[in-house]
Amino acid sequence: MSARRFVRRRPFATLLLLLLVVLLGWGWQERAALWAFPDIISAYTAKEYCSCRYVMNNDVGYCHRYVKQWLPFSGFVDDSAGKRVTVSGMGRTNTAQWLGERQGCRLQP
Amino acid sequence: MPAKAASKALKTSKLSSTSTRLSRFFFTEPLPMSKGLSLIFMLLLSLSAHAENWPAEQWSTGPKVTGPALEALESYAFPTRDDDTRQGVRTDALLVIRDGQLIYERYAGPTTADTPHLTWSISKSLMATVLGVAYGEGLFKLQDPVVKFYPALENHPAITFADLLHWASGLDWQEDYEYAPLKSSVVAMLYTRGHRDMAAYTAGFEAYAEPGQAFRYSSGDSNLLAAALRAIVGPDRYADYPWRALFEPLGIHHAVWEADASGTFVASSYAYLTARDLARIGLLMARDGRWGGRQLLPRDWIAFNREPFAGYKAHQDAAVPGGQWWLNRALDGATQPWPDAPADTFAALGHWGQALYVIPGEKLVIVRYGDDRDGSYQHNELLKRVLKAFAEKVQP
Repeated sequence: MSARRFVRRRPFATLLLLLLVVLLGWGWQERAALWAFPDIISAYTAKEYCSCRYVMNNDVGYCHRYVKQWLPFSGFVDDSAGKRVTVSGMGRTNTAQWLGERQGCRLQP
Repeated sequence: MPAKAASKALKTSKLSSTSTRLSRFFFTEPLPMSKGLSLIFMLLLSLSAHAENWPAEQWSTGPKVTGPALEALESYAFPTRDDDTRQGVRTDALLVIRDGQLIYERYAGPTTADTPHLTWSISKSLMATVLGVAYGEGLFKLQDPVVKFYPALENHPAITFADLLHWASGLDWQEDYEYAPLKSSVVAMLYTRGHRDMAAYTAGFEAYAEPGQAFRYSSGDSNLLAAALRAIVGPDRYADYPWRALFEPLGIHHAVWEADASGTFVASSYAYLTARDLARIGLLMARDGRWGGRQLLPRDWIAFNREPFAGYKAHQDAAVPGGQWWLNRALDGATQPWPDAPADTFAALGHWGQALYVIPGEKLVIVRYGDDRDGSYQHNELLKRVLKAFAEKVQP
């Protein structure tokens, strides 16, 4: 079956195939951004909660509302003794650690 | 010498020297003419310097203002606060300094006078001020290529300090925060691909324009400045430099400045100061870089901060960029960004409504911290109401 005949007989399949090729091409081009994307929610939540709680010294309830985003996270551990915040979401886990009076919080590692 | 002791010493020395000179001038034998004149001059100088208010350990307070104009300001800045929906204007702190004295202060939500509040992009202007001290030490020039101090910029050797300070590196940066998370350079820099070494991440971008030609607001440009500061002041001084050079001389004791894993200050986003302490930076800027008797920042540095960037096109951003500060200037036939505020108003501005406004002509410094998650807060509206409540001159 020639390419032209395939296109004529299956116009929708052709269109879908084309879309798939474009999508894969875009995905390849953006692979670094796409790979990093799932980290955003857990890294953002861990870092900004850590700073809200241990740099700005706001209370737990306020800091939870402060970091809330439209994407949910699954795990949340606030180790208040070690001033260490670990958050999981979209299959990734990130930790922020309070380091000192002047240094504040930082994502680990 | 700690700032508190320094300012006390300054006051005492001025007082005692004034009175000694007075008694000598009036009650002892006649002085030669030239010496007498110079003494009068010195006396006038020390009297005029003494009439200025400077904060010591705490701000001194000025006359309290009340009335309908203040009520109008408070109804705008402090409406009923909703921390669950996070909608509307949500001011955390509002503080007004007039002529070096605290005349208004109010806090809301969890923020108090002791909270070192996240300043977000006000940090950029703070880093510029830290750099200004190093500039005053003669350690670099505005037209120096940054690569001289930060070799990771080897692919962009033409970028100068002036270009970075103008957000005009020409690097192909995307600043959007929440609305385009996949393509946002700043989200990737702070939280994912760039967070370990933010300046190196920025240096890896391609150019889209020649350096110094076009304005494009970029947190990356500000972090390149922070990385260059390491070699400017030397690695030994770097970790303490913002405190030694800027915070301590101003009597700021509780500043926090987070760094990335490479140790570079996150100049784009992560400095924390109490509202009262941020106002000290404002007073320094309002008085052309002078703190008490000391010219901490060279005057030509402040002039550069306050000069509009020539490559800026009207309406590219919410205000006119100078050297890492925002200006209320009419340009290219466009009106002033904040039409109800004087043209000499300039500001450091940050995400979610953080602002430090300086209006030298009115002797006003205004700190506004907030947590605005929608676009309802307007700089012009706040400035208009603050001026109505606190400006001494009649507004035109």
